[in-house]
Formats: sequence, C-alpha cells, structure tokens
Amino acid sequence: MTEPLLEIENLYISFDTQKQEIPAVIDFSCKIMPGEVLGLVGESGCGKSTVALAIMQYLGKNGYIKSGTIKFKGKNLNTLSLHELRKIRGSEIAMIYQEPMASLNPTMRVGEQLTEVLRLHEVGITKQDAYLRVLDMLVSVKLPDPKRIMHTYPHQLSGGQQQRIGIAMALLGNPDLLIMDEPTTSLDVTVEAGVIQLVKELSKKFGNSILFISHNLGLVLEICQKISVMYSSRVIEQGSVRQIFNSMRHPYTRGLFNSLPLPSFNKNKRQLVSIPGQLPLPNERPQGCAFSNRCTYYVQGTCDKEMAMIDLGEGHMTHCTRVKEIDWSEETSLNKKDEGVEIGNVILNLSNLKKYYHVVNSDILGSKKTKTIKANEDISFDVREAETVAIVGESGCGKSTLAKMLLGLEQPTHGSIHFNGQEIANIPVSLRDTETIKAIQMIFQNPFDTLNPSHTVGSQIIRTLEKFNVGNTHKDRRAHMFELLDLVKLPSDFENRMPRQLSGGQKQRIGIARAFAAQPKILVADEPVSALDVSVQAAITELLINIQNTYRTTMIFISHDLSIVKYLSDKIVVMYLGYVVEQGTAEQVFSPPYHPYTEALLSAVPIADTSVKKRHIVLENDIPSAIDPPSGCPFQTRCHRKKHVLNNLCEKEVPPIRSLNGKHNIRCHLADEILESMEPVIGFNTK
Amino acid sequence: MQYIEAHQVFIEIIMRLWLVWLCIFVIMVSSYIVRKRLGLYGKIYNSFTGVIGLCIVLFWFLCAIFADQIAPYDPLQQFYQLKRSKVGAFDVETGVTFLLGGDNLGRDLFSRMIHGSQTVLTIAPAATLIAFLVGVTLGLPAGYYGKRIDAILSFIANLILAFPVILLFYLLVTPGIRETFVPVGMAGLFFLFPIIFLFLVLCSRYRERPVLLSMQLSATLLVGVWLYASLVFNADPFHLLSLEPNELNIFAAVIFASSPGIFRIVRGLAMDIKTRDYITAAQTRGEGVWYIMLWEMLPNIRGPLVVDMCLRIGYTTILLGTLGFFGLGLSPESSDWGSMINQTRKYIRIVPTMVLPATLALSSLILGFNLLADVLREQSLKD
Repeated sequence: MTEPLLEIENLYISFDTQKQEIPAVIDFSCKIMPGEVLGLVGESGCGKSTVALAIMQYLGKNGYIKSGTIKFKGKNLNTLSLHELRKIRGSEIAMIYQEPMASLNPTMRVGEQLTEVLRLHEVGITKQDAYLRVLDMLVSVKLPDPKRIMHTYPHQLSGGQQQRIGIAMALLGNPDLLIMDEPTTSLDVTVEAGVIQLVKELSKKFGNSILFISHNLGLVLEICQKISVMYSSRVIEQGSVRQIFNSMRHPYTRGLFNSLPLPSFNKNKRQLVSIPGQLPLPNERPQGCAFSNRCTYYVQGTCDKEMAMIDLGEGHMTHCTRVKEIDWSEETSLNKKDEGVEIGNVILNLSNLKKYYHVVNSDILGSKKTKTIKANEDISFDVREAETVAIVGESGCGKSTLAKMLLGLEQPTHGSIHFNGQEIANIPVSLRDTETIKAIQMIFQNPFDTLNPSHTVGSQIIRTLEKFNVGNTHKDRRAHMFELLDLVKLPSDFENRMPRQLSGGQKQRIGIARAFAAQPKILVADEPVSALDVSVQAAITELLINIQNTYRTTMIFISHDLSIVKYLSDKIVVMYLGYVVEQGTAEQVFSPPYHPYTEALLSAVPIADTSVKKRHIVLENDIPSAIDPPSGCPFQTRCHRKKHVLNNLCEKEVPPIRSLNGKHNIRCHLADEILESMEPVIGFNTK
Repeated sequence: MQYIEAHQVFIEIIMRLWLVWLCIFVIMVSSYIVRKRLGLYGKIYNSFTGVIGLCIVLFWFLCAIFADQIAPYDPLQQFYQLKRSKVGAFDVETGVTFLLGGDNLGRDLFSRMIHGSQTVLTIAPAATLIAFLVGVTLGLPAGYYGKRIDAILSFIANLILAFPVILLFYLLVTPGIRETFVPVGMAGLFFLFPIIFLFLVLCSRYRERPVLLSMQLSATLLVGVWLYASLVFNADPFHLLSLEPNELNIFAAVIFASSPGIFRIVRGLAMDIKTRDYITAAQTRGEGVWYIMLWEMLPNIRGPLVVDMCLRIGYTTILLGTLGFFGLGLSPESSDWGSMINQTRKYIRIVPTMVLPATLALSSLILGFNLLADVLREQSLKD
C-alpha cells in the first residue's frame, strides 16, 4: 500500500474568545491517498472550513491547534517553520475559495497575477516561459480567448470565469493536494455544472488529490470517492460514497438524506422530514454524542457517555454507539395520506408583461446615450387559487423583477396584471388599497435581512397586523400575534426576542408569520429556502405546504433550485434573460420534450441519489448580460442544440411561443421531430 | 502674597471636587453592574479606554452642573492683590486663595475654569443635537428618494461646506448682521426642526391609534412651543428659560456649520440601508415613507450616528474655543475656555502657568469625547 498524501490524526482545534475557549474541531482524523477526492460535508458552522485552514496553517490570531498531527507527505505541518510552510503553500497544497472575486486582486491584470504564481514558485523561469505556461493553463480550464483574458481585470470577468481563473491559479503551482472550500456555492447551477465537470477532468489529467468541502450532498456524490460527514465539530461518519449514500449508519446522516427533496418525491406523496431542533452552540454541546439532543434513538446512559468511532469494516466508520441496535432498514421517511388541495379558479393573470429599465450614460460633452435593459420581455401566464407556480431561472433572468411588479414595487413598461379581475399592474404599492396589499404578500430570500434588526419579533408582527387593520385593540393584535407564532411553530416567548438572537430558520419562520398576518391570497416567495441549511430547508418547505393546504393560499415560488421546485410546484415557468422559455405543469416541464435550456438546467442540478442516472449536458460560456443581450433567441449563445436549426435562424429571430400539448408552451425554433426525439435527462438505475 | 505648596494645591483641588468624584463613582458602579442591559452605552465598560473617556466627559459635565458648589469664588469677582499670581497664591490679609493662580484682572482661574465648562457643555451638546435633527430630517429623504430631492439638498449642503467656517462666523457675529433678522431667522428655522422631527416620528408610527396620537402630539406641541418661544424669542411666559441674543447667534452659527456634514453622513447611510429586504417588506405592507425612514431605517443607523455625535461634540467644543478666542459672539468677560485662553495668552511670559487651566480643560474634554467615540465605534462593530 502506498503512503497517504495527507494524514490527519486526532486533530483538535480551538478558538480563543474573550469569554472562553471554543472548540471548533474535535478529534478529526482522515487520510487522503494520492489521486483521491475526499468530500467533507456538513451544515454551516460544523467546522469543515476550519479543517481546511488548519491544513494550510492559516488559523489566524485566536485559533490554534490544540493537539493532533497533520502529516503531509510524512512531514508534520504543525512543526514546520514559516519559511518551510511558504514552500509548501501554493506549490504543494493549493486552496480555492468560495468567493472568486475576493480571492483575486482587483487592481492587477489576470495575466500578471497568474504569472506571479509561477515566478514565485519556480526560480529562474523566464517571463516568456511563464506567459506560455499560463496561456496553456487557461486553455486547460477552458476559458475562451485566453490571450484576451490575460489582459483583463478580474471585475471584467463573470463569476464562473473568475472561479476558473482561481482554479488555474491553484493548479499552476502543480500542487499535489487541492483544497476546495465550497468552490461553486456562489455560482449559478449551469455554471456550477461546468466548473465541476472541469474539476473532474483536471484532477484526472494532473492526478492531484482534492479535499472538497461542500454542504451540497449532490455535488459530493458527483465528484468524490470518500466522504466525511461532520456535525458540530466532529466527524460523525466516514466512508466511501456508496457506503454513505446507500447504507448510512448514523442518525444524522440519515436525517440529512430524508430532508433532501429527491426527484422521486412530490409534495402530495411524500413528506420531507427535517431534523428536529437546531445545531447546538459550541459551548452548549451535550455530553457524549453531539447529536444526542436531536436524535430519535437517544438512550440515556448510552448516548451521553464519551464514545469512540466504531469501525464497520472497509473503511466505514460511525460515531454512533447504538449502530448495532438501530434498525437501519426501517423506513423513516413519511408517506403522506392526503391528496393535497384542489386547485381553484384563475386568481391572477399576467399578460404581455414587459419591464424595461433605461440607463442613461451621459459623457462630459453632454451627449446622452440611453441603454435599455430588458428585464422582462413578454410574460404571460395564469395563476390559479391554491396552486403553486414556480418561476425558475438563474441570476439575471428577471424573476425578481417579476416579483416586484406583482407587489407593486415596480410598474411594468407594458402589459397588465389582473388580480381577481382587477387591473393592478400600474398601481404602485403606496396607492394600493389595504385589501389588495393584504392579499399579495412576500417572503424574502435572505433570512438575515428580512427582519429589522432594531425591533423585537413581536412588535414587527403587531405592526403588520396594525397596518392591515386586524383586530381593534392592541390586546387583540397581541393575541393574534401569538396565534401566528404558533402557526409557524415557534414558542410564544419569541415575542420579546431581537432578530439577532434567532437562527436563520427561525428568522425565516418569522418572515412567513409576518407575510401571513392577514392571510394573503397570494404569497410570493423569493428563494425562501436557498440561504438555509438542508435540514432547515425541509422544515420551512413543509411549513409552507401546510399553510397552503390549510388556507388555500396561492404560492408563487421563485427559485433556481429545480429539485425543490419539482417537489412542491404544480406549474413551472422557466425564465431566461427576461423571456419565458418554457411553461407548463411540473410533469410536462420535467419530461421531454424540453426547451434546450430546461434540459441543461435539469442536467446541471446535482442530485444526491446514487440510483439516479443523468445525461450530462454542459453549457459553454456564461449567462450573457441583460444590458447587452444576444440577438435572436436569448439562449442561442449557449445552446447545445443550436446546430439543429437551419439558416442560423436562432441568431436572427426570437422564436415564437409554441404550444405543444395543451398548456405546455415552449419558445424554441427546434423542429418537432427533434423535440419529440428528446430523451429524459433524469433516469433511474433499475437495481 | 504668599504661596502654598504644590501638593497642598493638589489636595485642595481634589477636596473641592468631592461631589464630582462621588457622582462619577456612583454612576460608574451602578452602570457597571447593569451594563448588560444598557445596550451600546453598557458596552463602553468592556474597554479600559472607554471608561477613561467616559470619566473625563462625566467629570466635566458634573463640574458644569455643580459649578456653584465647586468654585470658591464668583468667576467675575476681582481681587486686585492677587492679580497675575502663580499657582497656589494666597493673600495673607483676606485669606483668599487662588488654587490655580489669578488672571490679569485678579480673577480666580480655577473658578473661571469650572464656570467656563457651563458655557461649553450647554452649547456644544445642545447645538450638536439640533444639528443632528436637522441633518437626519433632511438626510433621510435625500438618501431614500434620491433623484431631485437629493440633488437639491446635496447642492445646498455642499455650498455651505465649501464656505470657510471661520469666515462664516465672522459674518454672523458682526454687529451689522447681528442687528438684522438673519440670526434670529436662522435660529427660528433650526429650532423648528426638533418639533417637526417629533411630529413626523409620532404621526408615522401611531396613525392607526388616533387617541394615543393626539395626546402625544398635544404634549409635544405644548412643550415645543414653550421651548421655542423662550429660546428663540426670549419670550418665556414663566421666565424659566432664556437665551442671550449672542448665545442664540452662536447656536445658529454652530448648527448652520455642522448640519451639512451630518446630512451627508445620514444620506450615505440611508442609501446603503434602503436596499435591505426589511425595507422592501415594509413597502410591501404599504407603510408610509416617513415610517420607513424614521422607524425602519433610523434605528439601524444609530450606531454610526452616535459615534459621529461624540466626535462632533468634540469639534463643536473646539469651534466654541476658537470663537471665544477670537472674541466672537460671547461677552468680553465671559469665562468660557476660548475667551480665557485669549485673555491670558498675553501674560504668558510673566506667569507661564496662566494659560494652562483653560487649555488643559479644553483639550481634556475633547480627548474624552474622542476616546469615547473611538470605543463606541469599536464596540458597535462587534455586535
């Protein structure tokens, strides 16, 4: 057997704060063999990034390694001097960070930054050689027109391109170990798919090992061979991908999988099961098993004692002492009995909605150039009572602008919105009557931003009630506020909490309670769960579904995440650069014929299910900017099926809307035969 | 004329200030005990520098409050025997002791210094507060609406900022202008802002509760009109409050000079915070613009504003010193620190210590405010 490239044994890391020492990583061990990809998975705050920083010896002022060893190629990194570390950093271990813009120097041209890496690590390399090597590397990371890119500044590149530069920079030093800390989290799904594909190819080509840190189980499945699952500073389970995904042996891992919406799920058939409770604070961890206070298998006297990892053979380890006693074949996910709600009449109608923004650039001589940004172009669809309509698309597709127009924060340039037969498109929210305002409410994406940090939770809800004329006295409203807290399953003592004392999931619940203050007819949810951890996501999603079933609320669910959309929506509208490219019922959109963009989007979504087989479609380029949209079909610059359309029609004309069968509309030039011959993107392995 | 020993001077001064020490001690200890519940103020106690800054500021505030108890003599009373005396001089016949020496007219520098704090510590905080209300009331809409309102208000603010401050003061206090309606008009305009501000705050919040609102509004109006009449027009029916015309001038000048800076800070903060989701949430439930500005935005920019206020009181203190030094505005025999420096600087060769009481007082107070601002900035970022 060969020597492991990286071997970490019993690593303990702590941070010193003013009050006390906070353990950030407890008893962490792992091995990475040459050429191997190890995934480090866990929810936010579980200590996975700290491990990466410890390997680089970058723990900062107040962090330190308490005990344990980090051996890289047999050398203990903890004992190396700063000089020796500098030799290793960059040339033997390289790191790629989450935020690509933040890891590139904004004042230096990309070419200079990249050649700098070579000139630092390879003494005596000539300028010309370095330039050629960098050019080669840019070709390897599949950046178009590398010579031009060498001369650009980071801000002139898109997020995907920046991350590719980051990868190129890391690979230039020819490192044996690459640490990737959530490298694609800030990217769009289709761009992410491209970057992941690239990382896979490169690791094959250069043969380096990767430590891949992510919260996304689907991504980990695609790229890794081994996985360590972390929870509350500890590795609670580790093993091969197959072991973890198909025969997990820790209640937390199982909980994580149960809370993921997999493609085989649907809101009316199967319920997402969230993990009860929340991650304990580092200084409030329970004795023994860190998960014990949320675990359904908790047994007093067994789980609250110190325990060691249990070896299950073949490298599969778990931190659960009761592993032999738990019946792992037992079905833990819940099947739903109810059929959901019946969908009612049309309540909201959008027709030919357009929103243009005009940007005026005037120069010093006074000549004005007006540029038009087409945020929304010709959007029409109906929404029925108690229906969930999902608006899907990546950043810049105009989905948030659409939400703003619904709420009256923006007025459309053209077109109309009818709510219950009444035209509301051109009435700004300040002029809308209370009834209309009450009827259309919104839930926001960022839980840290939806609540005003200066007011208590109770007063914010009561204010909303006051505004909506619910109740006559302050006492009435307070009583109603408690009902609302109960509705979103929060205890009544949250009344006097300040938002900063709440976790992300709790804030989102308050946001829902506030939006629900006067039982809106339509709830516009703008990515309500995308900033939350998986287990919390499940709980919020279920809460929304329950509320919808009880009150027959219509939900307009804006998201980029197709798996959650598939799970809960009845109807799907796919948007790209302001255009609706495809719409139809969930079933129609998720099965062929597809619009090529939908097809690519479906293929790009990482799915954490080993039984799923996907067709891989990787789009070239990045999403074009809305200021400078391509001619003809908006998707033509990235379309993988463009070659099937004759006469370059895609570049010349915007395709018309075609009705396929019934309510399934698609905006594409592709011939009927090609559309019909499409195969499903997602298939299941028959075992 | 005889002199007491330096250590005796020291002990005597400490003894004279016993009331101040006691109050500082009580305030410090009681605040320290409940510091966790005091928000940003409580956080000052996490830092040693903060406690020092607070002590200095508190010291001078308490000196101003208890000036009559602390100062041994009237600040204007002259003892010709002790004129131009050094530290610790006393007259054998009358037993009059000048702890910090006397000035050219034989007035006690210690008493003058203590009384001088009154002028500084009434005008500086009050003028800064009103300047803040002016800046906030105009800066919030400029930042929130942008476009034309912002363009106009920012233009005016820039215009004022572009004008040299000292020249502005010279103009405002020259007799020719002082006799016109300009100073009173300006003061009248600025003193209106606190009332407008309170009205907006209450109206935007309690529109849905008319009974409560009308009660609050009438109370505000009563107090507001009384203060307004007594301060601006010197027409207090109860003869409780009054403001000298030249003091009113200084008020107007200080507010005029410092509100554009505050306006710009508030405008910048408002522009930053108006894109937050909770502002959108407020808009989508149909809140009025003033509610959004005053109840949703203002509380969230209070941190930087408190810091700026601390610094700005320091600047205003410097400004008052400068004004006093140039003899602008305040009466010639005024015991404010700026005037004191001016009155004593000519005799620096005869009695070098003569300028020290006023200069040290001025610089220590400013140091206190700056330390406090530093610590507040640090602590407000930590949250």
